[in-house]
Amino acid sequence: MTTITSRKRRAIMVYVADRPGVLNKISMLIRRKMYNVESITACAARQSGYSRISLTLHEDNNDNLQQVILQIEKMTEVISARELDINESFWREVALVKFEASQIQFEQFNKKYSFETLDQQNHGVHIVQLAGISKMIDDFLLDLGDDKIIEVARSGFTALDR
Amino acid sequence: MKGTELVLKALVDNGVTYVFGYTGGAIMPIFDEMEKQKVFTFVMSRHEQGAAFMAQGISRASLSTAKPMVGVCMATSGPGAMNLVTGIADALMDSVPILAITGQVASTVIATDAFQESDVVGVMMPLTKQCYMPLSVEEIEETIHEAFYISKTGRGGPVVIDIPKDIQIQTTAQTYQFNAAKYEPDLHGFKYSPEPDSTLIKKAVAMINKSECPIILCGHGVVASNAGRNLKAFAEKAHVPIGFTLHGLSAIPVDHPLSLGMVGMHGSVEANRALQHTDLMISFGMRFDDRVTGDLKQFGVDVDVIHVEIDPSEINKNVKTSIAINADANRVLKLLAKDPEINTKPRRLWFEQLDVYRGEIFEEVQKEIEKGVGQEGQLLMKTIVKRLSDVTEGKDLIVSDVGQHQMILARFYNFQTTNSWFNSGGAGTMGCALPMSVGVKLARPEERVWAVCGDGGFQMNIQELGSIMEHEIDVKILLLNNGYLGMVRQWQTMFYSGRFAGTPLKNPNFGAIAGAYSIPYQRVETPDQIMAALETAAAHQGAYMVEFLCDPSEIVLPMVPAGGSIADMIVSLNQE
Ligand SMILES: Cc1ncc(C[n+]2csc(CCOP(=O)(O)OP(=O)(O)O)c2C)c(N)n1
Ligand SMILES: [Mg+2]
Repeated sequence: MTTITSRKRRAIMVYVADRPGVLNKISMLIRRKMYNVESITACAARQSGYSRISLTLHEDNNDNLQQVILQIEKMTEVISARELDINESFWREVALVKFEASQIQFEQFNKKYSFETLDQQNHGVHIVQLAGISKMIDDFLLDLGDDKIIEVARSGFTALDR
Repeated sequence: MKGTELVLKALVDNGVTYVFGYTGGAIMPIFDEMEKQKVFTFVMSRHEQGAAFMAQGISRASLSTAKPMVGVCMATSGPGAMNLVTGIADALMDSVPILAITGQVASTVIATDAFQESDVVGVMMPLTKQCYMPLSVEEIEETIHEAFYISKTGRGGPVVIDIPKDIQIQTTAQTYQFNAAKYEPDLHGFKYSPEPDSTLIKKAVAMINKSECPIILCGHGVVASNAGRNLKAFAEKAHVPIGFTLHGLSAIPVDHPLSLGMVGMHGSVEANRALQHTDLMISFGMRFDDRVTGDLKQFGVDVDVIHVEIDPSEINKNVKTSIAINADANRVLKLLAKDPEINTKPRRLWFEQLDVYRGEIFEEVQKEIEKGVGQEGQLLMKTIVKRLSDVTEGKDLIVSDVGQHQMILARFYNFQTTNSWFNSGGAGTMGCALPMSVGVKLARPEERVWAVCGDGGFQMNIQELGSIMEHEIDVKILLLNNGYLGMVRQWQTMFYSGRFAGTPLKNPNFGAIAGAYSIPYQRVETPDQIMAALETAAAHQGAYMVEFLCDPSEIVLPMVPAGGSIADMIVSLNQE
C-alpha cells in the first residue's frame, strides 16, 4: 500500500498521554499496516500531560481505516482516536518558501496569495510564509515554478473539527 | 531504599514466587539483591529464551488455578535482552501475560553504544503490550505494579521493564512512599470493557434461537477467562456443537458429545465441514486467525457471526460480524448459559449431518492407529498420542513443541482437564516446549506434565535439560523422532514435489544426551512397546525421557492448504 494519491486522504486525530515513545509507536503501527504517513503533527493538548496528534494517510476502504484506528486506540497511552470528517473539519498547513523572483513578480505573487514576508535581505531572494489549505500552497508552488523555488518547508496538516 | 530492593518489594507484592533468568553485568545488582533476600525460587535457564518460555509456562498453567500468576523473567542488557525477544514475541501472539525485567547500561551512557547496549525499548515496543524504562528510582515500584496490571488485565500480553544499572542502585529519600495495597493504576487510556451490553446479548439470543445449523467457536479467551463450565452449560442448553481453535482446546473435555474437535488447517473433518455449512458462528475469545479461516474471501460468506471478544481491535478485523460483543468471554457465557430465552432446539438435520462428517474418515484413521506403523514401518505419531491418552486418561498436562507432533496431539489427545494444553500457536515457535514445561510443572506441581517434542524443536532449546536436571523438574519428555523437520517435510511432499530441502536431520544419540543430564531414558521402536514405556515414564518419580522412532512419511490430515479455503480440505492422500 504505497501511497497512491488517487486514494482518499483520511485524517485521524489521536489524543495521547504524554509518555515517551507514543509517537514512535503510532508511526510504527502505521508502517506495519503498510501505509505511508503523509503527514503527522503533534502538539500539547490543552490539558497538561496530554498531546494531540493529527495524521493523514491514504485509504479508500472504511473497514481498513477503522482497523487502524482500533489498533491505535489499543495502545495504553492512547486516550482516543477517531477519524476527522473531511467535510466537517478544518485542515490547515504552514509553508515556508525560499524563492528567487524579481520585485515585480514578487508583488504579483503577494497580491494573489497574500503571504507574509519573512526575509528579503538577499538580493532577489525572498523567504515567505503561507498558511492555509494545502491546495493554496500547492497552487502557489505550481505558479512559482521549479526554476524559482530554492527550498520549501511544509508543516504537514493540522486539523480541527467543528 | 535502593532500586533493587524496590524491584523485589514490588514483585513480592504482586505474588511472585518464581523468577527465571540469566545474569550479566547490567542485571547483577538485582540478582545480588535476590541472593541476599532469597524471597523467590530462582531458576536459571541455560539461554534467556528459555527463561521467557518458563515464565510463559507459569502464566499459562496458573490461569485456571485459584492463584493465577504472571511469570517473571530477567536478563542482562544487550545480548541477554535480545535473547528474550522470541519468547516475548511469542507471548504477545498468544496473549500470555509475562513480565520481563532487563538490565540496561547506565542512563548516563545510554545511546553511546556502550558495552552490551541495545535499544531494548525500541526493539520491544511492537512486541509487547507495554514497555518501560524507569529513569529514577522512585518510578520503579509504580512501574512494576502498572506492568502487572497491564499484562494480566483484559487480553493478556508481555510487558518489558528495562532498568538502567545506575537506577537499580540509586537510593531514594525518606520521603518516598508507595502504597502497594491501595495502588490503582492511573491509566486513562487503558481500555478494558469486560461487561457486555445487555441489548446485544438479547439480539444474540434471538439470532441463536433462529439458527438451524449454528456452531460455537471456542478460542483461547474461553480458557483464559476460565469460562469452560459456562461454555458447556450454554452449548448444552442451546444445543450447539463446538469447534475449538488450537488454544481453545481443553476448555471443556474434548470428547463431549457436542465437541467437534479442532477447526482450521489441521482441524477435524467434522469441525471444518461444519464451518463450511453453518449458518451462524458464535465465537468466543478468538481472532479468526488464518490458520482457522483459510482464504478469508471464501470464509463464512453470508453466514451470521456473533463475535465475543475482549480486544475490540480483533472485532471485524478478518471477518465481518453481525453482532459484536466487546466483553469478557466468561461474563457473556455466564449470561447466555442462564438466559431463559434460549431455546433448546433439536436441530435434528444439522446433527445428523454432523454425524455423517464424523464418520467420513473415522474408520480409515482408526485402522491406521491400530496398525501403528507407517509406510516405512516406523511408528505413527497418532498411535503414540492415542496411547498417551489411554495412559493419562486425558487428565495430564500436555506441553507441546511445534510441528507435526503438535497438530497430531491437538487432533488426537483426549483432553479432559481444564487448561491442560500448552504450546505456541500464534507464533509457532519451535523449542518452546522444554522450557515451557518447566514453568507449567512449577505452577501445577500436583499434576503430571508431559513435554512432547519433535527431534527438530527439541534441539532448539535442548540446553534447558540443564535446568530440568538442576531443579529436579518432574517432566516426562516424549521425543517423537522422525529424523526430519516433519511439518516442513509434509509441505515438501505435498507442494514441493518431494524435494526435501533442509529438512533431514542427522541426529545425535539422544539416549546419551539424556544420560548426560542424569535423566532416565527409553527408546521405543515398535507399537507393542509404546504402552509399557509410557506407563514406566508416568510411574517414575522425576524427569524421564522416551524417544520414539517415528515414521517420516506420516502426513497430518486433514489439511486445508495454506491460502486455500476450507472447502479445499485434503482429507486423505488417496482421495482423487
Ligand atoms: C523457530 C522456528 N523455526 C522454524 C520453524 C518452521 N517450522 C515449523 S514446524 C517445523 C518442523 C518441526 O520439526 P520437528 O521439531 O522435528 O517436529 P515434527 O514436525 O517432525 O513433528 C519447522 C522447521 C518454526 N516453527 N519455528
Ligand atoms: Mg521431526
